[in-house]
Amino acid sequence: MPSLLQICQWIYNTHFSTAIRESVYLFPIVEGIHTLGITLVVGTVAVLDFRLLGIVLESVPVTRIARQVLPWTWTGFSVMFVTGLLLSISESATNYYNWAFRIKLLLLLLVGLNPLIFHLTTYRSVSKWNLATTTPLGARIAAACSLALWGGIIVAGRMIAYLH
Amino acid sequence: MSLLAFCHWVAKTHIGIAMRDSSWDFAVVEIFHLLALAIFGGAVLLVDLRLLDLAFKDLPRRQIAREFLPFTVGGVVAMVVSGYLMFANGPVRYYFNPAFRLKIALFLLATVVHFALQIWTAYRSSEKSVSTLWSRGASVASLLLWFAIGLAGRAIGYV
Repeated sequence: MPSLLQICQWIYNTHFSTAIRESVYLFPIVEGIHTLGITLVVGTVAVLDFRLLGIVLESVPVTRIARQVLPWTWTGFSVMFVTGLLLSISESATNYYNWAFRIKLLLLLLVGLNPLIFHLTTYRSVSKWNLATTTPLGARIAAACSLALWGGIIVAGRMIAYLH
Repeated sequence: MSLLAFCHWVAKTHIGIAMRDSSWDFAVVEIFHLLALAIFGGAVLLVDLRLLDLAFKDLPRRQIAREFLPFTVGGVVAMVVSGYLMFANGPVRYYFNPAFRLKIALFLLATVVHFALQIWTAYRSSEKSVSTLWSRGASVASLLLWFAIGLAGRAIGYV
């Protein structure tokens, strides 16, 4: 059974990984699109979070904002995921030791759990507070966690390159 | 004063010296720039999509334009301030960087196009059932310009 490090090193040595890493244009272009994908995800999620915190579009039902915003969030997420995967493949062996990369993966896991917990708890009763400016405490906590975690992901993501 | 002379002057200011000599100032400022970009990007996207009738179709254009104005204006202000600090790290170097020149030119254009559109929609427009051709064109221009500015910004570090 190979270790995770050995798998990372094997990926690092493939033609595919080397091609992205050593290309003059490919890496920066993928990285640029990755940044814009994150902008799309975080920017649209933030609108929903700000609504849950009562900062924007207070007169609009929460579910209506979620329905309008989330398709764009998922579009951004697929862009972010595919480009992020390409970047990770190209630097797999060096990223293995990179603390910012490890923290980013952990934060991504937490940022995925957050809406999962929210939907299984507070969001089930959304019909009762859909129109409320001040949403239940659980919703405001979920929104604050989402903003903090996504902010942390941007910070950790940028730090990966600084720690190289 | 020419632009190049201005760049030489920026390099000699306290901010210019601090940004050049510190090893972590630039990283912190750049991360702040990216955080502001995320908030700004989401707001701009939703305003432009509303004007293209692609999102929030059942809400007045005026309301969307007005409610997101603090986010788009705040985002631009935060990015201009953090952008200036990064620029102060090596003003003369950036002066000769083609990606930086392109980004600034596109930014000036995008700011005029986007904010003319958003402020006009927020305070002057009459609510029609379908967006006018003008506002649709301006929305597409705004989206493409901000997208190009993002890519040009990333290119500054590579050219």
